[in-house]
Amino acid sequence: MTELTFARVVDDTAAALSLALDRELTGHAVLTPQDALLLDDDGAGVVAFTDGVPTHVHHTETGRGGAPALASLAATGPLRVECYAGDDGSVPRTDRTAVAPGTPAERLAGDDELAARTRDAARAADIDDADANDAGDPDAVEAFLADEQKVEAIRDRAREEARERAEEWGFDDL
Amino acid sequence: MVEAFAVASGKGGTGKTTSTLALGMALAEDHDVTVVDADTGMANLLFHAGLADVDVTLHDLLIADGSAAVSDAVYERYGMRVVPCGTGLGAFRAADPARLRGVVADLAADTDVLLLDSPATLASRSAVLPVVLADRAVLVVQPTIPAISDALKVQEYATSYGTGVAGTLYNKVQDPEAVERVAAKSGKYFEGETLGTVPEDDAVRAARRAGEPLLAHAPDSDAAAAYRRAADAIDVRDADAESVADRFRSAVVPEQP
Repeated sequence: MTELTFARVVDDTAAALSLALDRELTGHAVLTPQDALLLDDDGAGVVAFTDGVPTHVHHTETGRGGAPALASLAATGPLRVECYAGDDGSVPRTDRTAVAPGTPAERLAGDDELAARTRDAARAADIDDADANDAGDPDAVEAFLADEQKVEAIRDRAREEARERAEEWGFDDL
Repeated sequence: MVEAFAVASGKGGTGKTTSTLALGMALAEDHDVTVVDADTGMANLLFHAGLADVDVTLHDLLIADGSAAVSDAVYERYGMRVVPCGTGLGAFRAADPARLRGVVADLAADTDVLLLDSPATLASRSAVLPVVLADRAVLVVQPTIPAISDALKVQEYATSYGTGVAGTLYNKVQDPEAVERVAAKSGKYFEGETLGTVPEDDAVRAARRAGEPLLAHAPDSDAAAAYRRAADAIDVRDADAESVADRFRSAVVPEQP
C-alpha cells in the first residue's frame, strides 16, 4: 500500500536525493521542478529507491528512462519532493529505467560527496553498483544539451535575474 | 597592455583555483601575469600557492582605512605576481568588497594579464563583482548537468554586464571522448570556444597537498599539459593599461549591503 511519507519543497536535486538517502527510503519519490509551471511543462521525475539508494528513474512527460530521464529533470532551482514508502509508483524496474546508485547524485546534482555516500549505502544494502546499466544509454548530459528549450529557458531566466539584480545592486551600465 | 579575466564557474568544486594558477603559470611564459584571489568569502588560493603563512593579503587592502599598500599583498611566486586572500572571518566581515575595484585598477596598471579567481556563486553583489570588473570570463566546468547549467548562468550574467566570454574549460574529465561530444553539443550555447579538456589527474591532488601550483609540482603531468594547451587557446588582447585602469576605477560598484 502506498503511503505518502513526506512532501516538501527543497532547494535542489542534491537536497532531494539526500532526503531520500538519509531516510533510507524504500519506495519511490516524485520530483517536480518548481519551474515546470513556468516552462509550461507538467513533467515530473519518478525515482525508485531501495534503502535510500536510487535504482530506477522514469520521466512522466518525456517517457525517458534511466540516465536520459535525469536530463529531463535537470533544472536549477527548487523542486517539490513527494516520497512514498512501499512501492515503485510508475517506475518499472527494467534495464531501460535502471541507473547506477551514484549516477543521479553525480549527473543531476553534481555532488560527488553525495554520490560517494550513496554508493556506500548501496554497498551496505548489497545493491549492484555496476555502471553497466547506464553504459548503453545516451549520456544524460548530452540528452540535457539536446533539449534546446530547456537550456534556453535556463539562459533566459539567468539574463532576467542578472537584469533584476543589476537594478537591485546598483549596477547601471547595462 | 592588460586584459582582465575572471576565472569563474558558478559552482564549487570544479577546480577553479587550480585552473587559475595553472593558466596563470602557462600564460606567464609569454606575459606578465598577476593572479588575484577574488573569492574573498572562500579564499583558498593561498593554500594552493604556498602562501598560507603570509602576513598581508587582499583582505588587508579591502579594509576601510587600512594601512597596507597594494604592493604589500603582492607576492612574486612561480613567475607570476600572486595576490592571495586571507581566510579569517573577522577580516572578511571588515572587508569592503567594493574596494576590489581600486585594487584591481592598481594591479592592472602594471601587468599584461590579470586573472581573478572568482567566487563560485552568483548569490551576492560582492560575488558577482569580479565578473563585472573583468574584460572576459573563463568558464571552468565539469561535464555534469548542474555544472554546465551554472556555467551558462555565469555566462548570461557576464554578458548582461558587458563582460565577454574567453571560452570554456572542461575540468576533472574522466571520459575524454564523452566530453568531446558534450563540448560539441554545448558549443551552441556557450560564447567563446572550448579552450580544452583537463583530465582528472592524481597530480592535481598531490600538488594541492604540497601547497604548490600544478604546473610547478607536476609540470609533466597530463593535466599540466592540458592547461598549457588551454592557455595557448586564449588570445590575450592588447589594451592600453591606463585606459583599463581608468575603467576599473570608474566601474560602477555596488554599495555595501
